[in-house]
Amino acid sequence: MSRIKATLRFLNHWRHPDEIAREVETELRFHIEMRTRANIEAGMRPDQARLAARESFGDFDRVKTRCCEISRSLPFDSTVLKMAMYITIAVLAGGTALWAVNMPHHNFTGVLWQVVAIVVLARAFVVGRRGVSKKQYQVNDSEKFDEDKSVASKVYEAHGAGIAAHDDEGRTPVERIFN
Amino acid sequence: MSKSKAGLLQGTLDMLILKALSLGALHGYGVGQRIAQISDDTLKIEEGSLYPGLYRLERRGWVESEWDVSDNNQRAKFYKLTRAGRKQLIIEEQNWERLAGATMKALRAS
Repeated sequence: MSRIKATLRFLNHWRHPDEIAREVETELRFHIEMRTRANIEAGMRPDQARLAARESFGDFDRVKTRCCEISRSLPFDSTVLKMAMYITIAVLAGGTALWAVNMPHHNFTGVLWQVVAIVVLARAFVVGRRGVSKKQYQVNDSEKFDEDKSVASKVYEAHGAGIAAHDDEGRTPVERIFN
Repeated sequence: MSKSKAGLLQGTLDMLILKALSLGALHGYGVGQRIAQISDDTLKIEEGSLYPGLYRLERRGWVESEWDVSDNNQRAKFYKLTRAGRKQLIIEEQNWERLAGATMKALRAS
């Protein structure tokens, strides 16, 4: 059910891209507002509290952009979509090749279609090979490097800096390579 | 328990967010607060990093969100765990226990 909701939301966001940006901004501003209040309650002056809240939040625009990107991304594993694309390309290439074989060789159109068939087949091979390499890389890098499994996890110990395994946009090493 | 530096492994934030939300619906700020609270203030998520995490969990169908009014009468987005999210939390916990157990075993080896 939640998948269906996510798909509907994705379609809605696709139709109204500005709406996502507004929603994300409202949400993030709410966070800063709450942090500011907490800082004031802890004894800070209002201006100090707001400044501290912004600092502890980090790069507002970057977070907003990242959240918008995630909202606009496909709500399901895009590997299925890619595989469908490879199959389509392969079918098209095969069809083109068959057509080219049946064309008379002595005319220009026949030669042209043979060239097209070779190019399309080569392209399908390259795209398919890239897809397989990517899959192998992800598998070899263990489940913790799965693209969607890991999220921004700059986790800080209460009194000092912690270990940041992700970059500022919350991307894993694999995501940094492929995105 | 010592409060010295405690770095977390990748993917741990997912589990922490899911755990925080398993205790009830929360807005993003509340998730960070709850993680700090349930970890006895040992863990604090860098605030900006929390949101991409929440959005990804939502995209995967483990969390769903809804706009509502917060305690201070402000419009806020509340997140709650889905059934798939509850199942995922169990998986994450099991993985974590296995990893922690194996690490402890390795450390105790003489």
